[in-house]
Amino acid sequence: MKARWAVSSRIEQADVQEREQSDSEPPRKIRGGSGAAGPRLVGVRVLKAALHTTVFLCLTATLAHVVLVFFHVAPPNPVSRRYSQHIDAWVYPLFEQNWRLFAPNPDSVNRQVLARTANAGPQGAMQVSPWFDLSAVDSEAVEHQAFPSHTAQNLLRRAWATYTETHGKDDTARTERAVMIQKYLNNIAADRITEHRDDSGHDIDFIQLRVITLPVAAPGSNAADRPPKPVENRLLPWWKVTSHGK
Amino acid sequence: MGSEQLRKPPAAAIKLVTGRPVSLYATSVLRIGYGLLYLVFLLREFPHRHEIWGPGSPWTPTLAAQLFDQTGWYSFLLLSDSRAYFELCYGVALMTSTLFMLGWRTRATSIAFAVVVTSFHARSIFMTDGGDNLVLLMSLYLVLTACGRRWSLDARRERRTADRTAGAATRSKSLSPTMRQLRDARVTLTTVVHNCGVFIIAAQVCFLYGSAGLYKVQGSYWADGTALHYVLHLELFQPWPELSHLLDQYPLAIAAIGYLTVLTQVAFPFVLFGRLKYPVLVLLLGMHAGIAVLLGLPVFSGAMIIADAVFLPDRFYSSLPRLGRRTARRLGVRLPRPRGEAGGGAVPPQARPETLGSNLR
Repeated sequence: MKARWAVSSRIEQADVQEREQSDSEPPRKIRGGSGAAGPRLVGVRVLKAALHTTVFLCLTATLAHVVLVFFHVAPPNPVSRRYSQHIDAWVYPLFEQNWRLFAPNPDSVNRQVLARTANAGPQGAMQVSPWFDLSAVDSEAVEHQAFPSHTAQNLLRRAWATYTETHGKDDTARTERAVMIQKYLNNIAADRITEHRDDSGHDIDFIQLRVITLPVAAPGSNAADRPPKPVENRLLPWWKVTSHGK
Repeated sequence: MGSEQLRKPPAAAIKLVTGRPVSLYATSVLRIGYGLLYLVFLLREFPHRHEIWGPGSPWTPTLAAQLFDQTGWYSFLLLSDSRAYFELCYGVALMTSTLFMLGWRTRATSIAFAVVVTSFHARSIFMTDGGDNLVLLMSLYLVLTACGRRWSLDARRERRTADRTAGAATRSKSLSPTMRQLRDARVTLTTVVHNCGVFIIAAQVCFLYGSAGLYKVQGSYWADGTALHYVLHLELFQPWPELSHLLDQYPLAIAAIGYLTVLTQVAFPFVLFGRLKYPVLVLLLGMHAGIAVLLGLPVFSGAMIIADAVFLPDRFYSSLPRLGRRTARRLGVRLPRPRGEAGGGAVPPQARPETLGSNLR
C-alpha cells in the first residue's frame, strides 16, 4: 500500500517537472516582463541572452560536426577537396571514421608472416635460425575461440598492412612513420619468437621477415582442394634487434 | 530564439530541441551497452593487457609518444612507463566502465569513461578495428547526453530522495526567482545538449552504414556476390572453420546474404523515418549476430548492435518490463514482485513519449 502511494506521488512529480520544463518559455517571459524590478529584470535578460546564445552555439556546433563528418566519409567531391584541411583538422584524431571492414572488397588473400633470427656465434660467424611462422600463432589463437583477442586478429595483420602502406613495394623507410612501423614490426616479431621458441635464453641480434601471400581460391574452382600457389613471396632485409625494455 | 521572426515558423522545431530530452531510454541503453562491452573487452584482454596497452608492448611508449606528437592524440597511459602505474590505469579503466554501466554520478563518470576509452584506444591505435572506433565515438558522444536518467543508480537515488522528502515540488516553489531562473536555464541547456548528442549519435550511425554500404558497392566481389566466400576463407576471421566451410557450400545463399547486406546498409539512413526501420533493424541484428559468431568479432558486432538500439523509441523500452512480466506470468514463472520503483519507473514515460515521442522520431 505504502509503495503504491509512493509510486503515484512520483508520477505527479515527474509530470510537474516535465511540464515545468516544456512550458518554461512562455511563463518566464511574462514573469520577466511584468513583475520584476530594475536590476532583476536586467539579470533575467542577461541570463536569457546567455542561454539563447549557448543554445544557438550548441546547435551550430552540432550541425558543423555532422556536416564535417559527412564530408569526411563521403567520396571525394569538390567541397571535400577544397576544405580537406579543415575537415581533417576537425575529424582527426578523435572522430576518425573507419568503416571499411571488408570494403570495397574483402581481402582475398591470407598472409603468412615468417621470421628467422641470426646471432653472432662463438667464432664470430652468424648462426641463422630456421623460419618461424608468426601467423600460425594467430590462426591457432583464433581457431575454436568464440572471442578472439585483438592480439591475434589485429596486431600482426594491421602492423603488416600499415607497413605496406608506409613502405610500398620496397623496403627502405623513407618517412618518419615508415621508420616507426618498421620498429613496431621488428618488436612484434622479436617478442613472438622469444615467447614461442625454446631458445629464448639468449638475445636476438638480427631478425628477418618473409611474407608469403596466399590467394583464396575463387568460388566454384576446384582449386580449393590443392594448396594455393603464393602470389607473392616477399623477403625483407635483415633488421637489427634492440630490446625495448621488456 | 526569443525574437519574433524566429518564434513563429520554427517554433515546433525549437520546442523539439529545447522542450524535452528525447530518447532517454535509448541513451541509457547505449550507456549500459557500451559500459558493459568495454568492461568485457578489458577483461577478455586481461592476459594480453601488457602486449596491447602496457609499457612492454611492441608499440613502445616511445613510438606511441612519437605518433602523438604527429597526430595530436593524448593518452594518460603514457604518463609513466612503470608497470605498477599501468596496472593502476587498467584497474581504473575497469572501475570506470563498471560505474558508467551502472549509471553512478553519470555525467562525471561519462567524462571519465570517454577519457579512459580515448586513452586506451590511442595507446593501441594499430591494434584497433571498426568496433573500437565506434566505441570511441560513442563514448565521446554519450558525454553530451543525459544517459543516466533511466535504469541507473542515479535514477534510483533520485527516486529515493524524492520518496523521502516527498516534496521536491514544494521545495522548488520556495526557491528565489533568480535561482528558479538559473535552474530553468540549466534544465533547458542540458536538454538541448542532450538532444544534440542524440542527433549526432543517430547521424553517426547513418554515416557508418551509409558509407560502409557505399564503399562495398564499389567492390567487384560484392557486385558479383562472392564477397562472403572470400571473407569466410580468411584465417584470422575463421574461429569455426567447419562452419565457414559448410556455409561456403551454398554459393546462392552467400550471394543473397551479400546483396542483402549491401542493400540494408545503403538503405539504412532512408528507412529510419518510417515503420520499415523495424524489419531493417532486425535484419541488421541478425547480420551482426552472424558476424559475431562466424567471423569471431563479438566486440565489433556488439558495438554495432548497441548503436542500432538508439533508433528504438522510448515507448518500446518502457514497455519492456511490463512485457517481461506478462511473458513470465504466461509461462508460469513466478517472479519476485516488482519493487515499487521498478513498476513505477515505467509508468510516467508511458504517457508522454507516446504522444510526443512518436511524432518526434
